[in-house]
Amino acid sequence: MKKIFFAYILTLLIFFRAGAQDAIITAGKIEFEKKVNAHKEIESDAEGDDSWLLELRKATPQYITSYFNLYFENGRTLYKPGREAVMSPKPPDWIMGPAIDNVVYHDLDKQQDITVKNVFESSFLIQDSIRKVKWQITFDKRTIAGFECRKAVAIIMDSVYVVAFYTDEIACSGGPESFSGLPGMILGVAIPRINTTWFATKLELVAVKPEDLSPPKKGKKVNNKELMAQLRAAMKDWGKFGRRNIWHVML
Amino acid sequence: MKKLTVYLLIAIISMQHLFAQSAIIKGNVSDTASKKIVSHAVVSLIRKADSVLISFTRTWDNGDFRLNNLKDGNYLLLITSHSFADYTDNINLKDSSTIDLGKISLTKRSELLKEVIVKQQLGAMRVKKDTIEFVADSFKLPPNATVEDLLKRFPGIQVDKNGKITAQGETVEKVLVEGEEFFGNDPTIATKNIQADAVDKVQIFDKKSDQAAFTGIDDGQKSRTINLKLKEDKKKGYFGKIDLGGGTQSSWNNSAMFNRFRSKRKISAYGIMSNTGKTGLDWNESNTFGNGNGLEYNEDFGGFFFFGNDDEFSNSNYNGEGLPKTWSAGINYSNKFNNDKQSLNGSYRYTKLNSEGAGSSLSQSILPDTVFFNKEIRNSFSSRQRHSANGSYEWLIDSFTSLKVTANGYLGKLEGFNNYLGASLNEFGDTVNKSIRNTTNDGDNSNLHSLWLLRRRFAKVGRTISLNVDQLYNGNSSNGFLFSQNYFFDKIGDLTLATTTDQKKINQTTQSSVNGKLIYTEPLSKKVFLELNYALRNSKSDAEKLSYDKDGSGKYETLNDTFSNHYKFDVLTNTVGTAIKFNGKDMTFSVGSDVGWSNFKQTDIFKDSVSKRDYTNFYPKVTFTYKFGTNTRLNINYQGNTHQPTIQQIQPIADNTNPLNITVGNPFLKQEFDHRLRFNFNTYKVFSQRGIYIYGNISKTDNAIVTSNYTDSIGRTINQYVNVNGNYNAYAGGGYNVKLKKIDLGLNVGFNFNGSKYRNFVNGVANTTDNISGGLNLGFWKEKEKKYSINYWGSFNYNTSTSSIRTDIKTNYWTQEHSFNFTIQLPWKLEVNNEINANLRQKTEVFDKNNNVVLWNAYIGRKLLKNDKAIIKISGHDMLNQNIGYNRYINSNVLREDNYQTIKRYFMISFLWNFSKNPMAPNPQ
Repeated sequence: MKKIFFAYILTLLIFFRAGAQDAIITAGKIEFEKKVNAHKEIESDAEGDDSWLLELRKATPQYITSYFNLYFENGRTLYKPGREAVMSPKPPDWIMGPAIDNVVYHDLDKQQDITVKNVFESSFLIQDSIRKVKWQITFDKRTIAGFECRKAVAIIMDSVYVVAFYTDEIACSGGPESFSGLPGMILGVAIPRINTTWFATKLELVAVKPEDLSPPKKGKKVNNKELMAQLRAAMKDWGKFGRRNIWHVML
Repeated sequence: MKKLTVYLLIAIISMQHLFAQSAIIKGNVSDTASKKIVSHAVVSLIRKADSVLISFTRTWDNGDFRLNNLKDGNYLLLITSHSFADYTDNINLKDSSTIDLGKISLTKRSELLKEVIVKQQLGAMRVKKDTIEFVADSFKLPPNATVEDLLKRFPGIQVDKNGKITAQGETVEKVLVEGEEFFGNDPTIATKNIQADAVDKVQIFDKKSDQAAFTGIDDGQKSRTINLKLKEDKKKGYFGKIDLGGGTQSSWNNSAMFNRFRSKRKISAYGIMSNTGKTGLDWNESNTFGNGNGLEYNEDFGGFFFFGNDDEFSNSNYNGEGLPKTWSAGINYSNKFNNDKQSLNGSYRYTKLNSEGAGSSLSQSILPDTVFFNKEIRNSFSSRQRHSANGSYEWLIDSFTSLKVTANGYLGKLEGFNNYLGASLNEFGDTVNKSIRNTTNDGDNSNLHSLWLLRRRFAKVGRTISLNVDQLYNGNSSNGFLFSQNYFFDKIGDLTLATTTDQKKINQTTQSSVNGKLIYTEPLSKKVFLELNYALRNSKSDAEKLSYDKDGSGKYETLNDTFSNHYKFDVLTNTVGTAIKFNGKDMTFSVGSDVGWSNFKQTDIFKDSVSKRDYTNFYPKVTFTYKFGTNTRLNINYQGNTHQPTIQQIQPIADNTNPLNITVGNPFLKQEFDHRLRFNFNTYKVFSQRGIYIYGNISKTDNAIVTSNYTDSIGRTINQYVNVNGNYNAYAGGGYNVKLKKIDLGLNVGFNFNGSKYRNFVNGVANTTDNISGGLNLGFWKEKEKKYSINYWGSFNYNTSTSSIRTDIKTNYWTQEHSFNFTIQLPWKLEVNNEINANLRQKTEVFDKNNNVVLWNAYIGRKLLKNDKAIIKISGHDMLNQNIGYNRYINSNVLREDNYQTIKRYFMISFLWNFSKNPMAPNPQ
């Protein structure tokens, strides 16, 4: 702990921008804040006259917040749950949905993805290649956690629209959850379909220990295709709620 | 750290084409001004046709870069490095060409000139402070054009083929509809989905970031935003349904419902006329056309509570005795104001319900030394009317404070009569008495119930204060007549006694209570919370029951002292309590107790006497919940509670509504105290689609209020309320459900158990009645969407009952219930449904009539119109004409079976049409 050198983003910017003009970040820890607009989620679950569902909005905070840490060093990243968010009122479990505490390991050089997802009663160890995404690059920019980010958009899972913001100041093509493959670190992701966003809150220049980048090991071994088949079979009668759950799990 | 390693990333896309014919792009990047090389700059190759990123790399320490394995095509090369302006170049690649771009110079952003905003002047455009506003109708558009098409016409606005909007050179990040986000953060969802002709004005402005709006600190982050103001008439719409039906046995069932909305204001109205059992709105109808179903979500429990707004006048299926005829109409208004911070809902309903009935009953009274059998036949008519009003108002005063007021009340009238013919037989089958009894009744009733809930949260998570006030008023007044003649016979059948009761009854009862409760919770740590509460309850009951005997002149003017009384019963209760809650991740636990002081004040106005009693009670409460993983949960709780006697139980008056079965109140009754232990366990596995549930409940009542019965040798019974100890009740059940994947069949097997020990007194002898019943149930269902659905549910129960005064008389019988529903969709939009409900009951020595009913309902319907919005149906109700109303009760030493008239066979043709007009949504279906 003594030797760990970390600085919040301001310090970082001063250090690098003043120090070396072409300095580039290759290792560190990024905290992401995941926000699910629970009210919108509830509305989109409602089918026909489910006004009882809408009643639930009053008892649920508008945003369900959780935190994740992304450790990265060169071509390897590990994304896992971070500090606990305090929410009042406490939202019901089933609104939070499945797969809310994923651990995602990416070896970007080998395009290898090892992920643990807790989906209902099962814990899956998904070993597969990293999802290939056809990112469309735009000329829009936005600052996230002090970094200037460029917007890229893509369609995943045939129809799910994803907006990502990446910065070229971090030389690691990683990102939160399964997202990667842009010329820099993804610091922001928004998926309107599931009313969810991930935005970086801070970057810490910590020394990344080997255990911070060790891939998850426990769980029922599957690949994405097998997991999708199991989810479809289990939730085929769940209507809109089931479809939303599948997107949450498979993103 | 100083010595940074060179990091190169080759995108996998380019690796795939390693051995294919491929092109190469290379170059060297440097700074225009300082001529220094730029390392780590990102070089991205974007396909021109769809902006897709094809390949990327970073420049080396010497500023060189190289992109390998590229396919031919038109590309855009983008070179970026922070503090430099973006560099772009068009590149046309041909099969195996190598393009050397040579020296590429990047320009520092600080050296670029600031963007110049072009100002335009147009008639259709207005500038208000920072907002530019366009009037939509100034731009001519083809029908069905979307907002996107509209935006393209505006000067200074560009929309590219992906729907990305640029306004005055800046990308629009948000599109709001009426100031609210239409759906998520993606602007195109609104612009591609809303019709242009629904838009009145388009406003363009810069919106501060949410973060800035929240913290109040302007971080300089502004996003260009478009707000769409809709035309007033486009926020309007309506939907409704009409159901018309008529058939044999002069059956009719007609209803019409309509809901008109304009943005958040909803006005709905409905009317129902039916003699087939529909007396009010069903669940779905109540949500859309009524005032909702009174559901409330409870945070602690994690589930919904259902506060039924229902009463006997608003059932979709009449379940009382006899044949109902209903006329009902209602209107409902709801609106939201002030950014949904205030919402108001009000409704009015009128219902008239007439029912005529006929029935018979047979009961067995077990006495220490003998047994009586009572037979009765009856017919009745009642006409009830009710005007009801409901209202609720909710106000989110600020993000921490909320107020909710709900109130509902009614004014009603009741008219009716009951005629009875009865006989009692002794255990040898000899008639001991015969009776004729006619009662008439004409009354008014009124009710008001209001709930006030004020809640405040604090910035400290878990600190809350709430004030809850619950007010209730019930009033009843009635005028009626009782005429009864009773004839008593000796063993050889000679008349020994004849009595006549001919009285006028004037009853007036009111009941009112106010209950206020203040609750404060304080977090002691992240997981431990302390709750403190104080409650004050004031309840007042007043019952004046007057009986006048008919005198010689035929007038009812002589007050009968035995059957007349005026009594008041007031209870004031003060309660304080505390509880500790532990709120862990998997376990929640709470333990606490309230202490209550109740003061009873009983006033007998006729005798001018007052008596007072005080009670001190503890109300312990323990709950425990444990979550084993996501879908497995165990819940155990214990609660101790008191029940105060009702004024009917405590008023010292004899009720001779049935002169052969008189009930007498007891002013010395103590309050009951209940101990109740409950548990339930639930588990469901999503992937294997299996679930198990088990629940149980056991309760013990101290000072239980029961009746002490005394039946004389000629079959007259007097019941008096008394307290006893040692009453128990228990029930349990459980089941296992599974989806058999191979045959896509859902299956449920379960059990249930019920046991009770009920103590009372029969002819002065202490009696204990033990009832035990248990059974098994089975269900299965199978469904193929748009093809068919089948489901079956059946149960088998065995019941036994013994009374300690006559252990030789045992009552044992089984009952079975089967219900089967089958719907199939046929070609030509035909739908056929069959529903069979069978109730089978074993005959007993006493109840030897056949009471088996197989109720078979069916319909065939054809769907009509676009989206199957209408259906025409021919239906048959009780096709086998077997339906009877039936009940079998075991109540201590009295066993009783009731049969009554109910709706039997009829055939009906009906037409149902759902209609709607909603310009905003393409189609709600």
